[in-house]
Amino acid sequence: MKSKIMGLREAVSEIPDGAEIALGGFAITRNPIAFAHELIRQGKKDLTLYEIIGAMDSDTLVGAGAVKKFSYGGGSLDRFGRIGRINEAIEKGSVDVREYSGLSISFRFLAGSLGISYIPTKTLLGTNMLKNLLKKDDSVLISSSPYTGEKEVLIKALQPEYAVLHAPFADEKGNIIIEGPVWDKEIGLAAKKLFVTVDKIVSNDYVKRNPEKVVIPSIYTYAVIEVPYGAYPTSVYKQYDYDAEMLTRYARINKTQEEFDIFLRDYVLSTKDHNEFLEKCGGMERLMQLRADPVFGYCKN
Amino acid sequence: MSNFEFTTNELMAVTASRLLEDGQNIVVGLGLPQVATLLAKSSHAPNLNIIYEIGVINPESIDAGVGIADPRLWYRGEYFTSFNGSLGQILHRGLVDVGFLGGLQVDRYGNINSSLINEGDGIKHFTGSGGAADIATFSKKVFIIAKHQKRKLVEAVDFITTVGYLRGSNSRKEEGLPACSEIKVITNLCTLSFNNATREMQVESLHPGITSLQVKENSGFDIFIDENVKQTDLPTIEELQLLRNKIDPNKLYI
Repeated sequence: MKSKIMGLREAVSEIPDGAEIALGGFAITRNPIAFAHELIRQGKKDLTLYEIIGAMDSDTLVGAGAVKKFSYGGGSLDRFGRIGRINEAIEKGSVDVREYSGLSISFRFLAGSLGISYIPTKTLLGTNMLKNLLKKDDSVLISSSPYTGEKEVLIKALQPEYAVLHAPFADEKGNIIIEGPVWDKEIGLAAKKLFVTVDKIVSNDYVKRNPEKVVIPSIYTYAVIEVPYGAYPTSVYKQYDYDAEMLTRYARINKTQEEFDIFLRDYVLSTKDHNEFLEKCGGMERLMQLRADPVFGYCKN
Repeated sequence: MSNFEFTTNELMAVTASRLLEDGQNIVVGLGLPQVATLLAKSSHAPNLNIIYEIGVINPESIDAGVGIADPRLWYRGEYFTSFNGSLGQILHRGLVDVGFLGGLQVDRYGNINSSLINEGDGIKHFTGSGGAADIATFSKKVFIIAKHQKRKLVEAVDFITTVGYLRGSNSRKEEGLPACSEIKVITNLCTLSFNNATREMQVESLHPGITSLQVKENSGFDIFIDENVKQTDLPTIEELQLLRNKIDPNKLYI
């Protein structure tokens, strides 16, 4: 059996400056944080980033100056706060940001996953997002349905060069198991090269005994990267909770570039890998406090 | 008529809850809309289906969360899916009866801005759409919860994130958008509906103790208020007990 297991450093080194990457995070859950931090440590530049709902991973990459262009469907850190680095990049025009709705950007990946060139829809009609996209993006066109004659927006398919998702488990072939909602599924199905970071690699025999748990089959997967707590400080359903203290802190420091830069220096640039980052955040003692209750899917205390 | 005390948020939750009918499919987020939906489900509408855009259907949370990305909100869900499953195959297909929304600004025609505010020469950027634009496009009815302030209820929003009746009259239809049979706004001062012909916002009922003048003073444009405008129906003791004892015992939202 061909193994797709790769180390994080090696996997990230395959991604060139200027690459097009779709991230799988959503606000404060299942963000591929370890991968995002490693992109920053390796000094990647001029990335074109996509994310359905902007989250901590994309906010950190934008704050670190790694991103040239960012397309998303809105985003936040839920009640912890805003994605301040992305918001400021929009305000200052320092990153070329394209705003969609959650569904319209999801349709780009869905169309990509089906191998069709576009999806017709009425969403975005009448909005300022559509006006802005029509001005500077080639991913939307206004047309009319050949069947009903009704006005429609044609949302262009996207098959990103790379996708990076975080999942609790995969086997070495790349059969990916995700528990809970799977907003990022079609991103994985659309990408040309799908990298998945997982908290734990499981055996192919385990997959064969539980095929219904596989959300993305190995056909799509390029690399499997084992990074325990790779989504920390965001949550992985049934594995570990988000770290509310850390997210509260991040939502404070991401308000200004100065404070963000200090955070980036201390937590990302001066740690050699995700393990050192976890140590810096409280290490095993903290992680044990975040372990999810298997019945509830989050930390009950 | 009840003669016991309640908070404004309790009144808003009860008012929103009574707008929901049994068997409806509701797309909802955190906060008062969720409280209202759960109240309806615990009382007159036990067969409501609750949908979170992240891809969760009919959860029964017992712990408060920080948003729909919090696994606390997914507890005892019946179905987990993707964005394309929730907002695609359910909402986009036309199966959602009610979408609950909020935002930075709501305008005369029920359009919502959750993206940005114009400030001097520049802008200040906020959350953006998420599923809101999609929900407002395809839900048969849209209910908006808003704080009644001059800077929030405005003549025209700075940015249309989410469509209401656009420029009034038939403009929504002319834009090619699906019909929305009803938009209602519930604020801390009153409930607002939209004129059937012009699609302009009007006061439907004033909350107890609130005057027309207070509404006018706190609105960013001239909202029509009939001189015989009714008072918002009061909560019942049963509804208040459900809210306080079962739905939001830690008083996070009420």
